[in-house]
Amino acid sequence: MAKPSFSDEIANLLYAAHGNPIKTCIQCGTCSGTCPVADYMDHTPRRIIGMIMANYKDEVLASNTFWYCASCYHCTVRCPAQIDIAELMYALKRYSIWKHVYPEELIGPVFSETFVKTIVRSGRSYEPILAPAYMFSFGVREFLQEAITATGLMLKGRVPILPPRIKRLENFKRMISKVIPVGEAS
Amino acid sequence: MTAQKKLLIIDDDPDFVEGIKSILETAGYEVEAQYNPKDGFRALETGKFDLLLLDIMMGRGAEGVMIARKMGKDRKLREMPVLIITGIREQIAYLFPGQPVHPHFVDVDELVEKPVEPGLLLERVNALLQAAETKKAKR
Amino acid sequence: MKEYAYFPGCSLEKIALSYHLSTIETSKKVGVELKELEDWNCCGATAYFHVDELLAYTLCARNLAMAEQENLDLVAPCSACYKNSYFTNLHLKEDPDLADHINFALAEDNLHFSGNIAVKHLIEVFAQDVGPEEISTKVSKPLDGLKVAPYYGCQILRPRKDNEEVEQAEFFEDLLSAIGAEPVPYALKLCCCGGSLILTSRRAALSMVRNLLQNAMDSGAALIATACPLCQVNLECYQSQVNQEFGTQFSMPVMYFTQLLGLAFGIPAKRLGIGKELVSATPLSSYIK
Repeated sequence: MAKPSFSDEIANLLYAAHGNPIKTCIQCGTCSGTCPVADYMDHTPRRIIGMIMANYKDEVLASNTFWYCASCYHCTVRCPAQIDIAELMYALKRYSIWKHVYPEELIGPVFSETFVKTIVRSGRSYEPILAPAYMFSFGVREFLQEAITATGLMLKGRVPILPPRIKRLENFKRMISKVIPVGEAS
Repeated sequence: MTAQKKLLIIDDDPDFVEGIKSILETAGYEVEAQYNPKDGFRALETGKFDLLLLDIMMGRGAEGVMIARKMGKDRKLREMPVLIITGIREQIAYLFPGQPVHPHFVDVDELVEKPVEPGLLLERVNALLQAAETKKAKR
Repeated sequence: MKEYAYFPGCSLEKIALSYHLSTIETSKKVGVELKELEDWNCCGATAYFHVDELLAYTLCARNLAMAEQENLDLVAPCSACYKNSYFTNLHLKEDPDLADHINFALAEDNLHFSGNIAVKHLIEVFAQDVGPEEISTKVSKPLDGLKVAPYYGCQILRPRKDNEEVEQAEFFEDLLSAIGAEPVPYALKLCCCGGSLILTSRRAALSMVRNLLQNAMDSGAALIATACPLCQVNLECYQSQVNQEFGTQFSMPVMYFTQLLGLAFGIPAKRLGIGKELVSATPLSSYIK
């Protein structure tokens, strides 16, 4: 068997996907026309699929496209080829997180990592812990605006003081070690 | 002279597979590679291999563990020696700093971490094949 | 009395406390008993699936397995919790190998997933299981003349479940009509609020929020009704940032549908968490008394 190309790699990553394989894409652009974030992406969803099929690996991985996907699934439900495009965006995030290749200035990867870290340690998410993950990448103005919003929420009693955690946390952690076999031996 | 041993690699990283495949082939093994868990397991079921080299992080997550567990439940596949070669510690180091946990789901298995030295790779493959032979002979 | 296993999700503990309070109050009124899952865990929001799908399934399956123990269908008021739980339930049922592997992990918490319950969004419980007709019989203070923009957002309807109509939904409108309010039509009712991009890709998300607010305002709505804590936070709490960023002057209240139902049922505003808004609910003042 010949060495798999980049598009094969993505197809292998999506081997259990729930939509059609991306090679069934007809490049119609319905996804790009539907996507509410397309204006902010380096490449539209249609284009990123085309680039994967043409094996533009470095360009795909250097783009912000999949990190700007809000997981709204509008492209997925409209795709005439029935490709689950939102799932493809998740797969691309997974690929770049596993390989540690993503543009430095993006907040998305750090946010994901911090979020998951919080949950595997406590079982629940906790907004204030997430803040430092992205606040530092903000400019002063954004930082201040964010702080004003946070203060408003705090005054209305909408910010938790203590991080929540589940009760059966030990069981929970052992459970996770079965699907992610790293850490203390179980 | 013993018959040429046939090895299967299930790993999603084409560059890594290319490297170890050529090391193993140079050492005289016949090597087949599959790049996702589904094709990998199908090859295990239909082909006849003397040893499996198995990656952990593939497809949706740590699917190598799923494969090893499935093998452990299969009377025939349970006998096949497995060398787990993983970069999981690198891949999700931020989440769980620590050693990879060895799943131990088949009779003869071992775990090494990527990147793996050619010498070490051949040594482990050879040792696992011999251990499996010895085990078979005892029966 | 219909009984459900209630999975509030992390947001409802604090940032969307008013959603939780109004859910509890209104469900009692329509004969729905919500039994909170003991020791539920986070659904993973949108962050798990791109790190490790198997981890995501495991976490959602834990909640499902606990609901199965109670023999109750699972209800989530948050669209992300709902979508993640719904599809975990579906995919595990379709893929025995996957379910077997997840069960191997769940065994550590003495749980087992068998796939014998359904997963519902809270608004489906009100709009479908109870139904607008039944709801209208409970109304004592109809919200006559209140123009409301029903905001569906993304993950209640998407991705597609069975053969449901994902582009022409009307059940939110029917629910609002049942309490006397006037649902206004507007183009972006199914369009995304930006979700977690508000934290990771701020400018893009703020512009999505701006478009939504503008569209709802142009349609003559006095307020927006939502069925998701993340939509509520993006549309309401980030409104001042939208105004700063784009020089707009929005002051559009964004309320949970359960708060509106509660008012129409004659439940005191405070018990519905009204008063915790950053954009105050002025258009509701004549209905609160």
